[in-house]
Amino acid sequence: MKVLVANIEDVMREAAARWTLIAYFFLSTIFIIIFASAINLDIVNGALAGAKLFGKEVEMGGHNEISIEKLVLGFESGFSVFLYFICTFLAIFATAHLVPRMQEKGTIDLYLSRPVSRVRLLLSRYIAGLILAGSNVIYLMGTIWLIVAWKTHVFHPRFLLGGTIIFLIIAVLLAFAFLVGVVTSSTAVSIMTSYGIFFFGLMLAAHDKIAAAVSKEWQAALINALYWIFPKSAELGQAVIAFVGGDEMPERVLSVLTPAPFLSTAAFGVVCLVLASWLFTKKEF
Amino acid sequence: MTTLIEVSGLRKLYRSSFGKPKITALDGIDFHVSEGEMFGLLGPNGAGKTTTVKILLGLTHPTSGSASVGGLPVKNPESRRHVGYLPEGHKIPNYLTARQALSIFGRMSGMETSAIQKRIPELLERVRLSQWIDVRVKKFSKGMTQRLGLACALIHSPKVLLLDEPTDGVDPVGRREIRDLLREEAKNGCAVLLNSHLLSEIELTCDRVAMLRKGKVAAFGSVEELTRKTATYKMVASPIDESLVAAFRETGAGVERVNGHMVLSVTDVEHLNALVDKLRAGGGMLNELTPVRSTLEDVFVDLIRAEEVQQ
Repeated sequence: MKVLVANIEDVMREAAARWTLIAYFFLSTIFIIIFASAINLDIVNGALAGAKLFGKEVEMGGHNEISIEKLVLGFESGFSVFLYFICTFLAIFATAHLVPRMQEKGTIDLYLSRPVSRVRLLLSRYIAGLILAGSNVIYLMGTIWLIVAWKTHVFHPRFLLGGTIIFLIIAVLLAFAFLVGVVTSSTAVSIMTSYGIFFFGLMLAAHDKIAAAVSKEWQAALINALYWIFPKSAELGQAVIAFVGGDEMPERVLSVLTPAPFLSTAAFGVVCLVLASWLFTKKEF
Repeated sequence: MTTLIEVSGLRKLYRSSFGKPKITALDGIDFHVSEGEMFGLLGPNGAGKTTTVKILLGLTHPTSGSASVGGLPVKNPESRRHVGYLPEGHKIPNYLTARQALSIFGRMSGMETSAIQKRIPELLERVRLSQWIDVRVKKFSKGMTQRLGLACALIHSPKVLLLDEPTDGVDPVGRREIRDLLREEAKNGCAVLLNSHLLSEIELTCDRVAMLRKGKVAAFGSVEELTRKTATYKMVASPIDESLVAAFRETGAGVERVNGHMVLSVTDVEHLNALVDKLRAGGGMLNELTPVRSTLEDVFVDLIRAEEVQQ
């Protein structure tokens, strides 16, 4: 526990001193301010009579009055996927340096000369990174949830719980960034490959179509295998929408809420973390 | 006295690129350091000093042989429970203040918060950094950073200290203070292993020394033993005349007359006694007979030259 506390303190102080923490929360705050000032709702007797986005009247589709609950639900589920991308990108950017910087000559000696196993050291740093990233997810989603609740008086907890799916993809990508960091000791490579794998996952959502389009059977098998190996970033993004929207969502959207994408993505993260720990234990400094 | 560092038959081969032979960093070295002892590790660049220290800390894994600290094999992280380490060119995160750095490393060494808070001021006082307790490390000079590094190594009151160039960048007064501090630690039972290029520093501080060359222990012993040229003596006697010098040379001794005294090179102590007998038999008076000492630097340079001759 002491090692974990020491690592959390170290990571937070570093993030604060290097402006990462400030930039991280500053960007999130700007986003929140823009969001808060952009939306103006006209609610009459609990129903939405009109809405303005960036000062412009929003087309109500012929309906004069829309249930405010439905509007909030639709808005939050659509908006959550946007937050899915924002939170993931900011998190990787703010935490991918944790291993490469620790492995710098002259620094790693100071950490490894303590009575701490390498696995414990790496995992403590991983948890510290997750706390940093998680605090921003909570800040961003929590504040937006509060703004929506303040403007509409609709409290919709599923929006907040949708943050756990965002947290899952961050945890998996951070595990991958740690693995790359242990092997290469490079922050830039850790960031690039983590983003790369995220986009690769988006593309592989269409693995059926890609596999059908390739000319050779082994290529199709490879595409399908890669789909099952890599994180399901597209499916998880869709799952955030489905989870936040709940039963109101169309069947097509709700169909992604199955254990498979969650389990295979989590398994990828666990394998990355185990591999990173093993390589870190074997590594010579 | 309890042995706190034990190294036996330690070998380390580094892999190299394809087609090239492996590099032998350590080729079966043995030594031990007991509690209260200050031990110096010397050698030219690439002799294996840093590799030895890294193995003792578990930073690098040995190819064969064994190493233990505090009775525990170095593979076990617990062996580092009572080890303080100051690496050469260490980088204490520069965003931390002295207090924060000591707090983080103290906690990583398993100390309680209350004990850390009590220890920090007294330790910074010892390394003369009290005024800088809440200043970020990036504002520190090289000497100050070095002293803070020493404080980080001492935060958990270790029983074993491994120091790589501890006085690097420190002014002469600071160097003396660090030497005194290390002696004090040794006096309190700490085993100190010093790895330094500053031979005078080792000579002034260490009880015993191991000189490494090409991964092997080339010379080993106390500083006194290593710097004593056992076969060379300074003899001050009267009268010293040519007949006496000739008589000495007849025995096979090397004789050099220097500023009114003689420097004798003999084969052993019996040979030396035979020369003294000759002096007395001739009616001479022996005023002074002392072994000629070299500096640690002389011994070191001789070792390097011997290596060059071998090549």
